[in-house]
Amino acid sequence: MAMSSSATLVLETRDLTVSYRPYGLPPVQALRKVNVKIALGEILGLVGESGAGKTTLAKAIMGVIPQPGAVEFGQILFNGTDLVRQPEHKLNQLRGRAISIIVANPRGELNPLLSIGEQLTNLARFHLQASVRQARQLALDMLRAVKIPDPARRFRAYPHELSGGMAQRVVIAAGLICAPQLVISDDATSGLDVTVQVQILDLLKKLARERQTSMLYITRDAGVAANFCDRIAILYKGEIVEEAPTAAFFAGPAHPYSNLLLAAFSHHSALRKRWSREVEPLAKDEIGGSACLFADRCLLRQGRCFHEHPQLRELAPGRFVRCHFPVERPSS
Amino acid sequence: MVILRYIGSRLLFLVPQIVGIVLVGFILIKAVPGDPATLMLGPMASTDSIARLRTDLGLDQPLPVQFLIYLQKLAHGDFGTSWQTTQPVLSDLRTRFPATLELVTYGMLLALLIGIPLGVLSAVRKRGAIGKIGGMYGLVAGALPDFWLALVLVFVFYSELHWLASPIGRIDISVIPPDTITGFYTIDSLLTGNWDALGSSVQHLLLPVVTLGLINAGPILKMTQSTMDRMLQADFSQYERLCGLPPQLIMRHAFRNALPSIITIVSVLYGFLIGGAVLVEIVFSWGGAGQYAVQGVLNSDFNPVLGFVIFSALFSLVVYFLVDLAYLAIDPRIRH
Repeated sequence: MAMSSSATLVLETRDLTVSYRPYGLPPVQALRKVNVKIALGEILGLVGESGAGKTTLAKAIMGVIPQPGAVEFGQILFNGTDLVRQPEHKLNQLRGRAISIIVANPRGELNPLLSIGEQLTNLARFHLQASVRQARQLALDMLRAVKIPDPARRFRAYPHELSGGMAQRVVIAAGLICAPQLVISDDATSGLDVTVQVQILDLLKKLARERQTSMLYITRDAGVAANFCDRIAILYKGEIVEEAPTAAFFAGPAHPYSNLLLAAFSHHSALRKRWSREVEPLAKDEIGGSACLFADRCLLRQGRCFHEHPQLRELAPGRFVRCHFPVERPSS
Repeated sequence: MVILRYIGSRLLFLVPQIVGIVLVGFILIKAVPGDPATLMLGPMASTDSIARLRTDLGLDQPLPVQFLIYLQKLAHGDFGTSWQTTQPVLSDLRTRFPATLELVTYGMLLALLIGIPLGVLSAVRKRGAIGKIGGMYGLVAGALPDFWLALVLVFVFYSELHWLASPIGRIDISVIPPDTITGFYTIDSLLTGNWDALGSSVQHLLLPVVTLGLINAGPILKMTQSTMDRMLQADFSQYERLCGLPPQLIMRHAFRNALPSIITIVSVLYGFLIGGAVLVEIVFSWGGAGQYAVQGVLNSDFNPVLGFVIFSALFSLVVYFLVDLAYLAIDPRIRH
């Protein structure tokens, strides 16, 4: 389901810039002019290392950037409405209803004193104004949909009685119960066993497709994204450095950082060696204020990289890269 | 089923717990220097008559034997006699313990009514005015001695404003106390329809209850505030926020998670106040159990002291038992 220009956009960020301004310290830009677009029913994979700003993007969309952070600039358009300028009570109506998030560490996220059923029905009762009976039915249906065995019994179970995989399914059920338009998955399956992870991802993808749900799938694992997403965006130091349809991206990543990321997960030892060579460290004064953010780690850097910040440019239709010297041919 | 077995096992431990507490109390009171025989007979008594009295009281026996005799009498419901009041300790405590319990119970209720709402509000509005007031209150209430506050209240509301009857005892001397049913004057007078006694006992309760309530609201407030604050920051509260649940519901859920800590501090305070309210009792000449025990300690009157220890230990054990039941009701993790 590649994005065409005519497709309805569910989410679009325009030059989204988020900064943290800790008291007495210089401000840190967590997101720099980020533009992402997610069409109806599309799954966008957002890949990056920790600290790249992935979670900040998720929190910005949910409107819950923690202090001392704030959206400094830009827009977050959800169905054409700018969320940045929405009052808190409006956002609260969207959260969990139109936009939901599936979190990692689900056992810590569920309220320990409430049964699974109570937590799910709370959502349906509040967001959908469902009656007690309707909410209960919805919750049971949802538990069945996420393939929890014996849903009627699990309905009465408490979070501490669930395994990690089970709890993850419950959180997915909570994320989907109100049939949201956009689901954000923030590293949701990273804590699970690989086999369970595959099951849950398949399930998530199936449910998303059935319901025409759009997804922002945030992960550190490029390999998982390859099987799961329609398009891939690579985030580095708060900047999108590459964006492409999944197949094209994995056939030949264009940005040196993308290549480094993929090589790190590769079983091809020559490839891994080639991209994970140590880069000569740079003296502070070699890097100008307008340098490419990846210049200090880049294997392919040249003089221009230190003076001119690269712009995101379109290499081929739908393929964007932020690099002066993109990798031309996929290394084999 | 689980709960019944739990209650059964708790009751089973009750007897050894009581025996242990009596033993410790017994040893401690005997370690305090002072001979009741000498005190009872006065400075003019001959050594002969003192020795005779010591034999009569069983004080010449070795300590272990004395302890066993005490236990044996206790098993038959005999708490011994107080030589000061010349009454059996049990009948003394039957009127004095409810007096303290009534005072302390209303004091705790008032402390809860002040401490919990203020604690919750100051956690929710941490940076607002209420948060600051809550912080200040905790500090001030922790620093004020209760007897001092009691004296100030007496000065203002009795000596200056004359709003209340003289702050002596539980009821006006001219008013006949209600028939004893529970030992709480307020409840007994309600049950028997004795309105004069009700009015008088409420008036007498007012100042000491306000004193205990204001002072003890401090720790309850602090505990409520800090636990509530932690629960509102906890992952599950953040997640509920991400799910767009209404703030009141999130607050209610957080409060439920904070409840066990609050109940703990309340139960500890409640048990402590049975003896800890003694300074307030003295200010208001309350005639409660705390005062009775202190008199006993000062005059080497062992039986009242041990009786008080047993009564307050039993009371604490009952309170802790109820607290455990409350935990069971609140937290499903304990039930399994």
